[in-house]
Amino acid sequence: MNLIHRFQELKTDKRFASYYGVFLLLFLAFLFWSIFRILSPENFGSLNNMSYYFQSSIIYSVGACGFYFIVIMGLFDFSIGANVVLSSIVGVVLSKHFGYAGLLIGCLVCGALIGFINGFLYVRLKIPSMIVTVGLMLIYESLAYFVAQGQKQTLDPALRGFAKAPGNILLALIVFVLAGLILKYTKIGTYCYAIGSNERMAENMGINVNRYKILGFVLLHFFVGVMAILAVSYGTSMTAVTGMSSMARNFTPLMGCFFGVAFRKYCSPVIAIIIGEMIISIIFNGFVALGAPTTIQNVITGAALLIIVASTARAPRGAVVK
Amino acid sequence: MAEIILEAQNVSKAFGITQAVNKVSLTFNKGEIRGLIGENGSGKSTFVSMLCGIYPLDEGKFILEGKELNIKNQVEANLNGISIIVQEMGTLSGLTVAENIFLGHESKFVQYGIKNTAAMNREAERLLNEYGFYHINATSMVDHYTFEDRKLIEVVKATYFNPKILVIDETTTALSQHGREELYKHMKRIKEEGNTVIFISHDLSEVIEHCDTISVLRDGELIDTVKSSEVTEDDLKLLMVGRELGSKYYRTDYGEPISHEVVLSVENVSIPGQIENISFNLHKGEILGFGGLSDCGMHELGKAIFGAVYNREGQVMLADGTNIDSIPVAIKNNMAYTSKDRDNESLVSNETIRNNICLPSVSDLAERGMLWSKKLKQFAEKFANMMSVRMANIDQFVFELSGGNKQKVVLARWLGKDSDIIILDSPTRGIDVKVKADIYALMDDLRRKGKSIIMISEEIQELLGMSDRIIIMKDGKISAEFMRDPELSEEDLIKTMI
Repeated sequence: MNLIHRFQELKTDKRFASYYGVFLLLFLAFLFWSIFRILSPENFGSLNNMSYYFQSSIIYSVGACGFYFIVIMGLFDFSIGANVVLSSIVGVVLSKHFGYAGLLIGCLVCGALIGFINGFLYVRLKIPSMIVTVGLMLIYESLAYFVAQGQKQTLDPALRGFAKAPGNILLALIVFVLAGLILKYTKIGTYCYAIGSNERMAENMGINVNRYKILGFVLLHFFVGVMAILAVSYGTSMTAVTGMSSMARNFTPLMGCFFGVAFRKYCSPVIAIIIGEMIISIIFNGFVALGAPTTIQNVITGAALLIIVASTARAPRGAVVK
Repeated sequence: MAEIILEAQNVSKAFGITQAVNKVSLTFNKGEIRGLIGENGSGKSTFVSMLCGIYPLDEGKFILEGKELNIKNQVEANLNGISIIVQEMGTLSGLTVAENIFLGHESKFVQYGIKNTAAMNREAERLLNEYGFYHINATSMVDHYTFEDRKLIEVVKATYFNPKILVIDETTTALSQHGREELYKHMKRIKEEGNTVIFISHDLSEVIEHCDTISVLRDGELIDTVKSSEVTEDDLKLLMVGRELGSKYYRTDYGEPISHEVVLSVENVSIPGQIENISFNLHKGEILGFGGLSDCGMHELGKAIFGAVYNREGQVMLADGTNIDSIPVAIKNNMAYTSKDRDNESLVSNETIRNNICLPSVSDLAERGMLWSKKLKQFAEKFANMMSVRMANIDQFVFELSGGNKQKVVLARWLGKDSDIIILDSPTRGIDVKVKADIYALMDDLRRKGKSIIMISEEIQELLGMSDRIIIMKDGKISAEFMRDPELSEEDLIKTMI
């Protein structure tokens, strides 16, 4: 009994808590790696493989970092996937004329613009963010189809610098550092948490809640713009499809974001997100190595998320959980 | 000579058809501690909320140091030297202590958009030490601290910039004696620095003791401003209520024997770390009072008896042998419980009065699984009227009611359930004189009908006035027991509490 109490008290000490959090995450990553390594040593887990898993996870980590700003305010956004499609198509189209500059500016500006539209409409129409973003998702998907003129948009081979190391890692690293700095060293971080905690009170403290909500959406979709750059570089091309199929791209970043939220009291959420997405990538690729069908992979990944979050973000007995 | 610092001229505000504040004109002097009292619904909170930028004025104006005040939110109020410590929770969870103290004022620490968190934390730590709150750490999450410590943090937040006017809105009711002493210290400091305090409280003795002058509001209008050295509590009560309050406030009977019939038996109840081996019996038609310092464990005991504590040890048993181990079982066996934290634990603020009253009786009111609006409405209206709840109609939302009326809604709910054993935790906390009298009358009435009441209270006068027996707790254990007696005095009880 005493040992447990001491441990609980230790966890409140900031430095110990951050080591504890990171350690726990790394341990989980190692755990899953071992499981799949044992089950399928030839197809999984070599250093080369791991490097591949990591590089595929950072696309989602980037998106998850952006998502975090929204989620801590209690908001949601279903149009991330649609953004990736639209922004990357815009980026490719522009890259045909302006090269790398076109790609970068196209994706980032398109992303930020989408973020602004989302935030602005959400604030003006006063409809729940979930509903607004679903509606906008449908619009963006169709817009993407229109911009691409129904054709598959292929990124010129000469412009695929972000498809592999060090280009992709550098880009992702810039995003991670940026996200971490904003959270810790600007008012935006404090205000997002304040709005998520008690919006009425935050407003009373003179915080312009609407402005920061719009800002949150812009940040989110700016990061998703980076995600679009990486996605189209990896995939070498992007096709616009309608019918909500872009939704599929929403959930992996979301899961990573939840790692950030769950581990927030222990370590920096950005680190939790990076390692969390890596864990998801390990699980996913582990199943691929085992030859399991895709549907099973999704089930297991979802289940793993539930288990991990439930066992780490322990709500005290009798607490209210929404 | 007294120098005027703030003047309110014909300030008015209405919420829908309710005129909350009606052309109130007041002046406040520098270096003055002004008490502001009135019944619930008299307009005191609304008045100061307008001063602090929480609500806009409908009519009239505030003139601060000769200039008209034009503010849109609390932060602007702060910049003008006005600050408020609110009644409810004024700190935000999920943020650190330092972030809470400087919320809205970060620009002091921001350069080119970058916030110097380290400097902010250092400054917060320095302030906390200056105030003597060594046990509070600037970088910890505010959620780690108790309600009282969070209030102390609010004291720092509201006073560190030496405001010209500090408003304290019914803060003391939620604080322990130690917390109150801290607050009084700072009130005195502000007065000595030549600044002004507006102190709102329902505790009339506290108001008389710590304020220089007292303004009384009733029904949104100013009645009078008096010198505290020239009035008694009864004078104030008269001003607040407008009519002579009958001498029958508490129970006037003495010597009535307590029935021998035991309705509830509590044996060796403990909550690790909070209370230890509490045993007692509750008799039919008895009002059993529990008293002690606010952290003596009596509040937790109330919850434990109702089945609301998960790690309770020991036994809580009814006369027929039923063990009360969970809230549904307690309610099914006609037990009722009203919490000290009324707004968060007793009421669904975002719901109508009707639904709040009907809540535990829903299965009784259902006909073959269906709930009929008309039936619910009649049920709720019956009990709301029995409690004289002051409302516009039964479908009004609870958050619009004043504190006293909210408590009446909570009691109406349990009346509707016709509970036999009622646990009341701080039933008249933060409630004005008139409603208090109503609640005491209700308790007396229930007692005569054979209902049994456990009353947990930090107000000694209330315990002395209403209980058949008083059990005093100290440090989680029972310290003493007293029988109802007109000779019993406050000192007798206090001696066993500390």
